[in-house]
Amino acid sequence: MTVRPTVALIATIFAMGAGASLAATSSEIGRVKRSVGVAMIERGKTKVATAPGVQLHPGDVLVTGKDGQISLTFIDDTRFSVGPNSRVSVSSFDYDRTRQTGTFLTEVNRGSLGVVSGQIAKSGKDAMKVRTPTSLLGVRGTRFIVEVGK
Amino acid sequence: MRTGRALALGGLLLLLTGCAHNSLVLLPGEDGSQGAVAVLDCDEKGGETVIADPNSRTGIGGGCRKPRSYNTNKAQRALIDALPPRPIRVTLYFREGTTTLTPESLPSLDYLKEQVKPENRPGAEVQVTGYTDTLGSDEDNDRLSQRRAEEVVEMLATQNIDRALMTAVGRGERSLRVKTADGVGEPANRRVEVIVR
Repeated sequence: MTVRPTVALIATIFAMGAGASLAATSSEIGRVKRSVGVAMIERGKTKVATAPGVQLHPGDVLVTGKDGQISLTFIDDTRFSVGPNSRVSVSSFDYDRTRQTGTFLTEVNRGSLGVVSGQIAKSGKDAMKVRTPTSLLGVRGTRFIVEVGK
Repeated sequence: MRTGRALALGGLLLLLTGCAHNSLVLLPGEDGSQGAVAVLDCDEKGGETVIADPNSRTGIGGGCRKPRSYNTNKAQRALIDALPPRPIRVTLYFREGTTTLTPESLPSLDYLKEQVKPENRPGAEVQVTGYTDTLGSDEDNDRLSQRRAEEVVEMLATQNIDRALMTAVGRGERSLRVKTADGVGEPANRRVEVIVR
């Protein structure tokens, strides 16, 4: 009788582990390419250090300090560079790799963001949006900068 | 009195329009193409302003504003320079029924090997998708396309790139590059498509 719960527990832990690693791969939406100065990703209550290869998930918030800067590429080919003293949330990102369609909402709460849009922006009118505290932008093509003062 | 009132009015305007520094700078595309960004719901009627002037700056602190011609400053140029390199797409072709590359594909493989080096593309994401022509069964082709993709990952892994940064997927005879009937050998369909981001 005592063996059963142990086996069940191990099985549960194993399943959880496998589930977690699967989730980690499938929810990847982009990767950090470069990071300079004070820069990090806020993921819920945890803070993730930025370094080349670090994966991004939907809901991640990119935060930089005075000399900070983060460059990243999303799985739909969108590219970002986050400037100093910035706070940028990747609020939602939904992409079908096979059909190359999806939706993407970024919020620039503070600082500056350089963008080259990718497949999502091409997949539908205003499928990619950028929100600032004072406006909502529909991205219809390619390279631009959004700046939000304090 | 009059100055005081003007100042108060100015302050009120600033409050109403939000921060004066919020702006959108539209640049020409990397290939020189003209892009556009729309400022949505910029008035009570849900109006929008489509900004399509390259090298322009538009206030986005509230209201439907017009773009003005603009030259980027040092900080903005630094931001543009920091954008990651453009992702690349390369197609490699295979001999019928095998995971052996055609001789014509070898230069493309060399190019890919160079691109995936961590010093050239730090934090690269390598997406490898294999395909087949319509000769043979669907099941065999799913397996063959998967093996082709894995073979390419093996070849790229020799370049000091972490395998965890690469994905190999086989799509068999779905997504033919050249449409054919079933059971047709077509060199253009025996391929692996590699995206390096």
